Amino acid sequence: MIKQIWLKELRAGLYTWKSTIWLLIASLLFSFTSYLLLTDKELSLLDQTEMLWLLAKIIIGVGLLVITIDASSIVTSEFEKETAESLFLSPISLKDFIMGKMIASLTLWLFVYIIATPYIIVASSGSSLALPFLAYTALLGTLGVLGLVMIAFAISLLYRSSKNTLTTSLVILLVFAIPALFSSTLKNNTLSDLFSKINPIDNIFSSLDNVLVDYQTSILQNWTYIFPLILFCVFGFILLTFSAKRFNKEGVIKSD
Amino acid sequence: MSINEIISIKGLSKSYGSTRAVDNLSLSVGKGEFFGFLGPNGAGKTTTIRMISGIIKPDSGKITVSGFTENQKEEITRLLGILPESRGFYDWMTATEYLSFFAALYRIPEKQADKKIIQLLEQVDLLKSKEKKIGTYSRGMKQRLGLARTLINDPQLLILDEPTLGLDPQGQVDIQNLLMRLNSQGVTIFYSSHLLHEVSKLCSPVAIINQGRLVAQGTCQELMEKTKSQSLADVFLTLTQTQHD
Repeated sequence: MIKQIWLKELRAGLYTWKSTIWLLIASLLFSFTSYLLLTDKELSLLDQTEMLWLLAKIIIGVGLLVITIDASSIVTSEFEKETAESLFLSPISLKDFIMGKMIASLTLWLFVYIIATPYIIVASSGSSLALPFLAYTALLGTLGVLGLVMIAFAISLLYRSSKNTLTTSLVILLVFAIPALFSSTLKNNTLSDLFSKINPIDNIFSSLDNVLVDYQTSILQNWTYIFPLILFCVFGFILLTFSAKRFNKEGVIKSD
Repeated sequence: MSINEIISIKGLSKSYGSTRAVDNLSLSVGKGEFFGFLGPNGAGKTTTIRMISGIIKPDSGKITVSGFTENQKEEITRLLGILPESRGFYDWMTATEYLSFFAALYRIPEKQADKKIIQLLEQVDLLKSKEKKIGTYSRGMKQRLGLARTLINDPQLLILDEPTLGLDPQGQVDIQNLLMRLNSQGVTIFYSSHLLHEVSKLCSPVAIINQGRLVAQGTCQELMEKTKSQSLADVFLTLTQTQHD
């Protein structure tokens, strides 16, 4: 059942050009960034490690944004296009339905990652950072994407509306992304430090900084950043479990 | 629940806010029957069908389908074929892809599914359009495809909510003939429709609900005698207007 849902979503992404367009946008952004980093007068003066860190932030950022947008409609579209009733009239469980959709979202992330790979390899040439760069982008990106997808699915099951889910998911993404992107310009206090410690995007960027700039490449050296990401995924899972229970209680057709 | 019963509903109730959609409904459908389920708009027909299929949960009451209770959803869905009121389709799929997808959900082996799909598309007269995208189909074609989907798992019980809606007269006759043939092969059909002439032609017995409550159940002949009416339409109007008054 999971496989059928996963394959259906992959084909839907290709047939409706939805995924293809996102992947095209991602590759254009990666090309544009790489071009700027290599040719812009000021940017090309950056140290290679700084340049790699900037590229890593772009790859993870684009990945998280694309997957959040996609995940916000992948579940809700079944309700909005009235296909959910027919689907749940077949012997499919909510667990299989969610798992199939989740694997489809992670597959889209895999495609973004595959597209990013040549850029990573070219930008890392001449250094020994290509492999850690690839490995940590995969690990950190996957944890970040997984947590966000579970949150987007949880919201989808609660709202059953693409607009509401997309708005809420993007607000959550921005709440995490803005402090992470502008951490150096924001005032440091206990609250912002605490938020920074639990903020998944902050942890992803800090870990990439640790790997690419400070050459701290072992898992143990990055555990303080990876652990909060695992907790973020656990939080997403708990939220999704709560939403799924509520969904099962309400039924496939919401009784408004 | 008797051996001959396939659906048993006892004291079923469902409210949406302050509106009582289904109110203490009890009825039973026997195996092999072509059961007509009638009621005016908003009478609670679709809510009842959705509760039988497990798509929505009742507030109270008990539903048994072929001996399985509502907690055994998977067992129920395997023996049911339901054409729901909301008929969304994956417009980017072809009819063959759509039916293959559902066949896979029912874990029907691929070769067996391929044969079954051709047979079903032939039965609903969509064989010529099988490779066209569903998005290009007319409403009637989608209706027929929906019916083919409900038959993919060779159900023992078919629950149909307005199955001939949107079909031209020839399409209606074709579907009626297909349903009569299935019924003669032993498939129980639970048929919800507004088309009273169609129900009186196909169904026996018939249940009429109004404002969520069962107002009459019996063969068309019994109901006509009981209400001293000349047709099922008269029976329907007499019973539902009495309730409104």
